[in-house]
This record gives sequence, structure tokens and C-alpha cells, in this order.
Amino acid sequence: MSGYARDRAEIADLMARYLFAMDYHDADAYAECFTEDGVLDYAMGTLVGREAIRAEALVFRDKIAEVFKDWQGNPAKLRHLVHQKALEIDGERAWHVGLWWEMTNGGPEGSVATPSFGTYEDELARVDGRWLFKRRKIYNEFLPGRESGLGNPVLAMGGGR
Amino acid sequence: MSPQEYDEQYAADRAAIEDLMARYLFALDYNDLDSFIEMFTDDAEFEFARGRVAGKANILEAVKGFKKRIGEHYKDEDGNPAVLRHVLAHTAIRVVGDRAWTRAQWFEMANDGPGKSLKMGTFGIYEDKLRKVDGRWLFSERRIMNEFLPGRESGPENPIRSMDAAAA
Repeated sequence: MSGYARDRAEIADLMARYLFAMDYHDADAYAECFTEDGVLDYAMGTLVGREAIRAEALVFRDKIAEVFKDWQGNPAKLRHLVHQKALEIDGERAWHVGLWWEMTNGGPEGSVATPSFGTYEDELARVDGRWLFKRRKIYNEFLPGRESGLGNPVLAMGGGR
Repeated sequence: MSPQEYDEQYAADRAAIEDLMARYLFALDYNDLDSFIEMFTDDAEFEFARGRVAGKANILEAVKGFKKRIGEHYKDEDGNPAVLRHVLAHTAIRVVGDRAWTRAQWFEMANDGPGKSLKMGTFGIYEDKLRKVDGRWLFSERRIMNEFLPGRESGPENPIRSMDAAAA
């Protein structure tokens, strides 16, 4: 079996752990998905360094509660999902483009709502044998200024190497 | 807690478990209960909205009841049983030797919207235990959590925590 399959399996697991940490408000587990100098670039700001990301993750719950509500005005249950994942690996570095979308219980009378979708465009690094996010940029096609753009994002993977 | 060892064996086991989880959903949604029940160990436990059962024969009976209830609950606008699909999304998998655990996001969708359009149903997570028996991964426990059924919600703790603790 190639090293690619091994690395891809680990990174798929990282992606899943990231989303569970995010949606269940586990700030420590979320921050541990990033390198020490990791960068999170998303709709509500750009955070530099694992500790800044941890601090941001601690207030995700409050920030999200302001945006996503159920039909009775309570904070909605928000779940992010990632589907197809293009992944390029070169030694201790990797690049990923993935399609994400989100769903909540914020529809009429407690039904499912599907607010938005976008892309994850990531750089990863293997640190002490572990794949971690070095930079995650989250694009959202429904937020003016955060759209992923017209060009195929996969072509930019590994850019500037 | 020791972290997952992401070696080549992990990649092979993860691929097999992902395949099992895909086959499970096709068997369930296409009413192929012969294939469905062969995905469980003899002593498997199965927990869903209506309770918890143990052993293949009891799981089969429970799933027949579950399918019957789905047929009654999900109808298209003409009153026919809706075409329902369960969809699997991101899956965290722990493997230690011949044992494995998962935490996986699912949702469901059907043709029961206006004009038989697509309507999203509910979502939740799977919390599984698996064993490799004669070289084949099988479910030894599947718990189905549903965020829309009071008492069946996952969390509030990150479900990964209990998986990692179980594997420790």
C-alpha cells in the first residue's frame, strides 16, 4: 500500500475529528487539530496560532447561537459536513480542497434547514508524525466576500511550493 | 490516552470499515435485510429510537419493525411509501488490533416534500463498536442517536471523547 493511502486515511480521520470538535464545542480538541503556528481564516476573522484558535473556539457557541436559531428562538443544532476531498501530499506537507455544507434544526417547526455551502482550502503539515492543519481557509458561497471564486481551487493546491 | 496509530494497517482497516458502513446503508434503504444482518457479530447489540436489542435474531426483528414504521411515517404526497435514503458523512474511526470504534454523522432525505420534491428528514450520529471476525469487520454494537428525538440526542460532550476513552 502506498504512503498516500496511509496519509489520506489519517487526514480523513482528522477532518472528522475537526468537525465533531467544532459542532460539539470542544475547544481543546478543535485547537489540537492545528499546528502551533496554525492559521484559521473564516467568516468571523483570521486567527493566528493554536492558542488564538483555542480562544476563538471557546466563543464559537455564543457566536453561532446569534446566527443560527431554531423556530422557537433557541440556539439551533448546527452540523457541518465535508464531502469530496481532493488531497495532494508531498512529504511532510499536504494540500486539501474539500466541499462542505451545513445543516441545522432551524427550519419551520423544528425541521432541517440547510443554510449554506462552501469549500475548505487547507494546507497541512506533519509535525512529530501527525498530520495537522497549518492553514484552513473557509470559503462560503453565501457570504459576500467569502465566495471561493470562479477558478478551480484544486489547481491552486501546492501553490507557492 | 494513547493516540491512534495511523499506520498502513489503519488505512486498510479504515477502508474496509468505510465499505461496511456504505453497504449497511444500501442494504437498509433497499430493504435487503439478508445482507443487513450479516454485517453484525452473533452477539451484537443494536440501539435505536425504540430500544436496545441483542443478538442477530432480535436485531432482525427490530429492523423489520423499524422498516415498517418508516413505511407508515414517510409517505410521498400521493400516500405511497416515500423513497428514503440515509446518508453517511464524516466518520472518525479508531482501530486497535481486531477492535474498532466509530463516530459518524448521518442524515436522511426522502421524496416526501411538496410535489414529491426532496425533503430533508432528521440527522444524528452513529456510535459503533466493531470486531474483525475471520478477517472481516462486523458491527458488534451500533447505537443510533437522533438529534430530533427527545432522549436520543447525541452529546452534549464531543462524542470523540467517549470513543477515545473506550479505545484507551
